[in-house]
Amino acid sequence: MLSNNIQAKEKISSRSGPVKRGKKMNIKPFFYLLPSGILISIFIGFPVLYTLYLSFFNWNLISPTKEFVGFNNYINVFTDPTNRQVMFNTLIYIGILVILNFVIPYLISIIVNFFIGKTKGPYKILFFIPSLFSLVVGAMLFSWILNPVSGPVALILRDYGMKLPQWTNSGSLAIIVICLITNWKVFGYNFILLLTGLGSIPKNIIEAAKIDGIPKWRVIWDIVLPMNKSVSVYVLILTIVEGLQYVFTPLNVITQGGPNYGSSNILYHTYLNGFVLYKTGNASALATVTFIIFLILLALEIKFVEGGRKHAD
Amino acid sequence: MQTNRKSLVWHIPLLLIVLVIILPILFMISNSFKTLHDSYNSILSLIPSHPTLANYITLNHQINLIRVTLNTFGMATLVTLGKISTGLLAAYAFHNFKFHGKKIVYFIFIATIFVPFTTIMIPNYLVISKMNLLNNMLGVALPQMCDAAGIMLFLKAMEKVPTSLVESARIDDIPERKILMNIIIPILKPNIISIGAIFFINSWNEYVWPTLILKDKGSFTLPLALQNYISSEGGTNFPLAMALATIMIIPPLLIYVIFQKYILNSISSSGLK
Repeated sequence: MLSNNIQAKEKISSRSGPVKRGKKMNIKPFFYLLPSGILISIFIGFPVLYTLYLSFFNWNLISPTKEFVGFNNYINVFTDPTNRQVMFNTLIYIGILVILNFVIPYLISIIVNFFIGKTKGPYKILFFIPSLFSLVVGAMLFSWILNPVSGPVALILRDYGMKLPQWTNSGSLAIIVICLITNWKVFGYNFILLLTGLGSIPKNIIEAAKIDGIPKWRVIWDIVLPMNKSVSVYVLILTIVEGLQYVFTPLNVITQGGPNYGSSNILYHTYLNGFVLYKTGNASALATVTFIIFLILLALEIKFVEGGRKHAD
Repeated sequence: MQTNRKSLVWHIPLLLIVLVIILPILFMISNSFKTLHDSYNSILSLIPSHPTLANYITLNHQINLIRVTLNTFGMATLVTLGKISTGLLAAYAFHNFKFHGKKIVYFIFIATIFVPFTTIMIPNYLVISKMNLLNNMLGVALPQMCDAAGIMLFLKAMEKVPTSLVESARIDDIPERKILMNIIIPILKPNIISIGAIFFINSWNEYVWPTLILKDKGSFTLPLALQNYISSEGGTNFPLAMALATIMIIPPLLIYVIFQKYILNSISSSGLK
């Protein structure tokens, strides 16, 4: 049906001749955009708006009536103690994710690009392997490795008279372990993106600086890092946006946000409110706030990354 | 000589990272062939002293392994085919046409990458349950069949096709549909395979959305089945869970072994602006 339609339109437009073509609206591209456009409208566009709508009501996902409460749910996001703790945890998550999944891969990619000669291939191939696996596998592996009673790390520590803490009983320790699990998965991915960025810096600039006798670390700090800014800001934003969504899986598998919401964050709390506590209004307000935070990150991406692209042209 | 020794020193932290990344996977495979007893008593030995297939056999008794694997395979295949077709069509529109509002439409597509899944999951859950697709692979696959990040990967790939090729085909009055099918797609074949491989691996591993839609054990995919073997209160039977995880990592690993070069190239290109 659709392809017939396209064919028919094509015949019409080719008959109308090349002179008129430029003037009238070209509708052909819209047929190509139709499948993705429909899917995006139904499964992303409509849901975003409907979540916004739901955030002004109290509802339990099932009941036929919804109670209009104005901005109450939004006020709750910033006043309810649990919500506030979860918002605070989200900031901690962002901090740890940036260090583990951005700063460390960046340092390693600098080492691989500038300090070890030409053997980059094997590291790229090996570092990337965990990116192929589900975070459920990662969550299972780390709950074995770091099992405080019978895990391998605990056993090794025991030989030296040390103990591994019960990290699932502490919100902040659990957050660190959960971030480590996502680090296992995305380290290689981010490493490759950053390494490619470093590799695309013209060699002659670096060579020239070397001939001038400028020390290597200064070349990296003053020339390489600024030149790699658009790639690194892209990876940084990706780290936050994807990272906050990645931590969901180990959270759900290992701690379910506990103890006492201590390891929960804004995304996990949205899920908990929506599908476990059936507080759809609170969930939708949290979801909308998350979306606004991500939109700010999108604005930053456009400013630094897309702007950088124009510069490069 | 001196620079060589210096660069050797730099290899030490890198090799340590390789160990930290790879050792857990090797231990996982090894433990899946150990008895529960051995997994506690010889926890640090990488080669099982009494190798056994018992975990795999128990696993197959407890869950319908073939069914779960087929569920996962079917879902991932559906999502992959969906993403490839919608992505290629959209990328072709962006790359080869000039039209009104192109910048805005492109911006909206890119912006969808920044929509957190929590912002859309409640309405999507309601839509899928209205469509009677709960506990159904289609309910999992349908909302994921279009992926703006994938469109960007296809766009990147299309940039290597000279525009003159499309223009001269148009002068010859070849319909657009045939330009895409007979000219662009054959040129992009390696890219389509590698991007498709990335799509497949990602949805093979998908956990969050399926966990909302698939509640019935018969409809489970591998990540959901594995999650059921991990107890948050402790007492997880790790050899059993690791046997399931080992089965789960085989397809992505195989794909990686075959298409490693292409996959890494696609990943690299996605970051370059």
